[in-house]
Amino acid sequence: MCDITAVLTVDLLAQVLDWLHDSRDLKSCRLVSRAFLQAERMHRRAIRALRLGPLPVLLRRYVGSLQSLDLSSCPSLDDSALSLSIPCPNNLRSVSLSRATGVTWRGLEVLASVCPRIEAIDISHCVGFGDREAAAVAKACWLKELRIDKCLNVTDVGLAKVAVGCSRLEKLGIKWCFEISDIGIDLLVKKCLELRELDISYLKVGNESLRSIASLSKLEDLALVGCEYIDDEGLYFLSNGNCSLQSIDISRCENVTSVGLTTLAEGQQRLRKINAGNCSPVLTSTFVSKLCTLGDTLIILKLDKLQLLASALEIVGKNCRNLLEIGLSKCNCVNDEGISWLVEGCTHLSTIDLTCCLLVTDKSLLSIATCCRGVKCLRLESCVLISEKGLDQIASCCTDLKEIDLTDCNVNDNALKCLSRCSELLVLKVGLCSGVSDIGLSFIGTNCSKLLELDLYRCTAITDDGLAAISNGCKRLKKLNLCYCNQISDTGLAHLQLEELSDLELRGMVRITSSGITAMAMGCRSLTQLDLKRCYSIDDAGMWALAQYTENLRQLTISYCTVTGLGLCHILGSLRCLQDVKMVHLSWVSIEGFELALRASCGKLKKVKLLGKLQDVLSSELLQTLQSRGCRIRWVNKPLVFKG
Amino acid sequence: MCMKQIIGEPGIDLSSDSKMDLKLTRNSESFHKPNSSNHNLNSFNQASQYFPNLSPTNFLSRAENLQQNLKTKSTNSFEPNLNSGMATQNPPLDWDPHAMLSNLSFLEQKIHEVQSLVQSIIDQQAEFSSRPSELATRQQLATADLTCIIIQLISTAGSLLPSIKNTLLSNNPALRQLVNPDFNNNLKCEGLIRNFPETARNSEYEDLLRNLDNEADWMKEPNPPPQSDIVDANPIDEHDLKESDDGDAEREHLPPGSYIVLQLEKEEILAPHTHFCVICGKGFKRDANLRMHMRGHGDEYKTPAALAKPSKEPGSDAHPVTRYSCPFVGCKRNKEHKKFQPLKTILCVKNHYKRSHCDKSYTCSRCHAKKFSVIADLKTHEKHCGRDKWQCSCGTTFSRKDKLFGHVALFQGHTPALPMDEVKASGSGQGNDDMTEDLGGYNGNFASEECLTSMDVKGIDESRAYFSPMNFDGFGALDEFGRGGFDLEDNPFAFIPSGFGQRSGDS
Repeated sequence: MCDITAVLTVDLLAQVLDWLHDSRDLKSCRLVSRAFLQAERMHRRAIRALRLGPLPVLLRRYVGSLQSLDLSSCPSLDDSALSLSIPCPNNLRSVSLSRATGVTWRGLEVLASVCPRIEAIDISHCVGFGDREAAAVAKACWLKELRIDKCLNVTDVGLAKVAVGCSRLEKLGIKWCFEISDIGIDLLVKKCLELRELDISYLKVGNESLRSIASLSKLEDLALVGCEYIDDEGLYFLSNGNCSLQSIDISRCENVTSVGLTTLAEGQQRLRKINAGNCSPVLTSTFVSKLCTLGDTLIILKLDKLQLLASALEIVGKNCRNLLEIGLSKCNCVNDEGISWLVEGCTHLSTIDLTCCLLVTDKSLLSIATCCRGVKCLRLESCVLISEKGLDQIASCCTDLKEIDLTDCNVNDNALKCLSRCSELLVLKVGLCSGVSDIGLSFIGTNCSKLLELDLYRCTAITDDGLAAISNGCKRLKKLNLCYCNQISDTGLAHLQLEELSDLELRGMVRITSSGITAMAMGCRSLTQLDLKRCYSIDDAGMWALAQYTENLRQLTISYCTVTGLGLCHILGSLRCLQDVKMVHLSWVSIEGFELALRASCGKLKKVKLLGKLQDVLSSELLQTLQSRGCRIRWVNKPLVFKG
Repeated sequence: MCMKQIIGEPGIDLSSDSKMDLKLTRNSESFHKPNSSNHNLNSFNQASQYFPNLSPTNFLSRAENLQQNLKTKSTNSFEPNLNSGMATQNPPLDWDPHAMLSNLSFLEQKIHEVQSLVQSIIDQQAEFSSRPSELATRQQLATADLTCIIIQLISTAGSLLPSIKNTLLSNNPALRQLVNPDFNNNLKCEGLIRNFPETARNSEYEDLLRNLDNEADWMKEPNPPPQSDIVDANPIDEHDLKESDDGDAEREHLPPGSYIVLQLEKEEILAPHTHFCVICGKGFKRDANLRMHMRGHGDEYKTPAALAKPSKEPGSDAHPVTRYSCPFVGCKRNKEHKKFQPLKTILCVKNHYKRSHCDKSYTCSRCHAKKFSVIADLKTHEKHCGRDKWQCSCGTTFSRKDKLFGHVALFQGHTPALPMDEVKASGSGQGNDDMTEDLGGYNGNFASEECLTSMDVKGIDESRAYFSPMNFDGFGALDEFGRGGFDLEDNPFAFIPSGFGQRSGDS
């Protein structure tokens, strides 16, 4: 048998691999031959580990070429595991330790020392991290990108450590680091002159910080979401500073008014993205009229929850002709007239968010369909006045539509029939549309084979047949929401043979039993999130099936199921990726059952939701162990009932 | 000091009065118990406040209070000239309008009192002819009152004019003569010269004064030798200038040879007491305290003669300018050193020797890390230990976060220290005389300011706690540069950031 590598050299293979992005395709490729495996090995730059066990072997295999390592999904990662898994020497440039609550500053110091060329570190959402961890990270002096979002204990001192240690920083995220103040920001700005992107969302910093930040000459992207102490004066500093911003997010800044936005638009003439959503409720037209000075550069404009009259949208439409995305969510005043003015000017719009614009009717859809043929994403949640007529126009004109949100829009099967003409559709949300039935789904199943996400929340008319149509047609589905579709039974569930399905919500489907779950689990091996809350008929057998077939399950909700201690122990003990379990009201599980199950899972779980009453009866030693391993327990205060 | 002068004042002989005696006894008690001296002095401070309420006819209590007042006021007014360096640095701080107002109202009251006193003498002139001793007593009281008024007036005016203060208050011959008839003109001229260069930094002034210094010799020769005041002058210097520690001498610019250099031996420097009771053997740091102590041993020690300052034998020479040398060979303060910088007072010698050449045996009870050889330094450190919670990686500490961050922003590579970080001392804790002495110099000026406010002249053991080098609050803006402030005289920025902080903290 002739060796394929004689024809297809490693170089050529590598070029082919460049075009493969799906992990399953890559896996198939690896399995062709040793030569393919070798080629893939040399080609691979990034690894995202799901489990810690095979990581050292994997890393040794890829050490030469590997540049990016994502350990954010490894629940039991701790210092020793981290230092063992990272080979030395290596070429790692980027490491993600997001949510790696088991790691301490010692592990981070090791990381900084064994990865001399590291340029990006992500330790976001490690809520226990503080100045010491920040100081450890700061030892990586070549760092260009750092995310420490929600490291709740990081103060100005930690930020100063980072600022002094990593003076080459270009991107920094310190969102939700509430302890950081103006003093820290000021020092950061003085030390890190290369900063291009800065996220200080939700910080309790004031205008003084913006005065400092305004001196950063290279700053392009600034996020100030929910900075409640920032007001128009701060924006005045920004508009008169050295920086030439391309993107600014000032949404949810309660004290920012149109005056500040106006000065900002005057001063920063190169702005491409503005998010001014949820600022002050009143927006005078002066700001919008100033937007015309930005003219052609602006591509993204989000004005959620602002009171925009039709005239304002007219100004936007006439001036911002290159706008690609507009967000008008919850703008109560937006009506068909305004939309038509807008889309007449902004013909390049690809994303239009009209969520909760209650006045929007089919006329708006008609004008969108006429003017913006390239629209890809349309969010129309709660636009109750639209009907299949409008959607028909959209479907026939905007053939490139990829995402549409019709939640709570009272659409029916006819609307789905129209939309099924959009064969490129990836995301379809028709939750709370009781008019949607099996007929509509059969159209979708037949035509929208690329669909990745389908939301059928409380579409109570759907039965097993509809689900079968979807399962057979949309084989690439990754997310499926069937909550409270309580006509679906085990038969329907058995049709779910979706290899790529990762996120499945079956909440409140009272008819399904363990046999249905078993059939589903056998078909959907990639599941990572599963919600079985209030599926009262599911018992231990379902747990056994899940433990056996869905190895990658990370998030599981089994509240109100009839699971016993045995089933709970088994599933918590077997599933190696499990991180987040919600198990409230498991009335068939005894205290010992909980105790044993939690012990079996120890080291993996990061989030547990339990009945509050268990707090007193579970052994304190167990709870301490859980917490020391970085597990957060949410206690729900509801009466505790025991059976059996 | 001034107290001693008053007590030993032959002109005001009140020892026959029982009340006065009681008062003196009380004072002597306080001398026996150094710990209580603070308290005692505090009551002195209040004296001026209740003064105006006195009935003008109550001469005896007035006389008693007069003494107190003299003590208080003279302490107050004599202080600044000893610490002239500080006074010139920030004169506005000395002026307190409230104090001045109360001083003026006191003066007013006082003048009324003297008026009525003199009036009563005139009225009762007939009676006095039969009792001359009573008349004499009244006259003395009037004189004393007038003295008090003059002192008060000058001290009030002096606080307004810091440069005049020094010359007027301590060196005004008339004033001294009023206080002490034995006052010697000659000495004061010398003092004038000695003090001037410090008050007037201006180089023209200094030149002028050097000339004066040379010309001053004519005064020394013909005049009678200095009397008791000279003997007293030393203790004053020792106890009040001691705050200036070991640094001031170099700022005097005394030409070599214009002063006498004394070198005490190590044992002498480290000896705790220098005056011993011949009866019970108890040791004292001051002769005045010993004399007060002696009163307890019998009536013969209570006579004015016994309580008076021992006067120097007549015929001895004019008191020369005396400076001190450190007995440690190789030290910059040792007279053999090429760039010898003399120490100004004995107390300077003591503090310098302990700080630079002795073990640091006092450990801070809070941090258990910092050690000191002078107990006052320890006490000052303990007052502030733990307060400066903002520390830089170089070891410098700050009381405020923004100060630390300003420091970090200024210097490359410095970062805020984490609480658990152990800052390694990169500089040595001892042996750097320049550093120590500069420190001492600052410390001295600074401490004297403290002394002004506390008026705790006699309670030296207690008051010394304020004079440690660790007390940096007074430097204010210098905090920006860390401890580098000590080098300010030479070059404000000529210090190496790494490690210096620890060292200066130790010294």
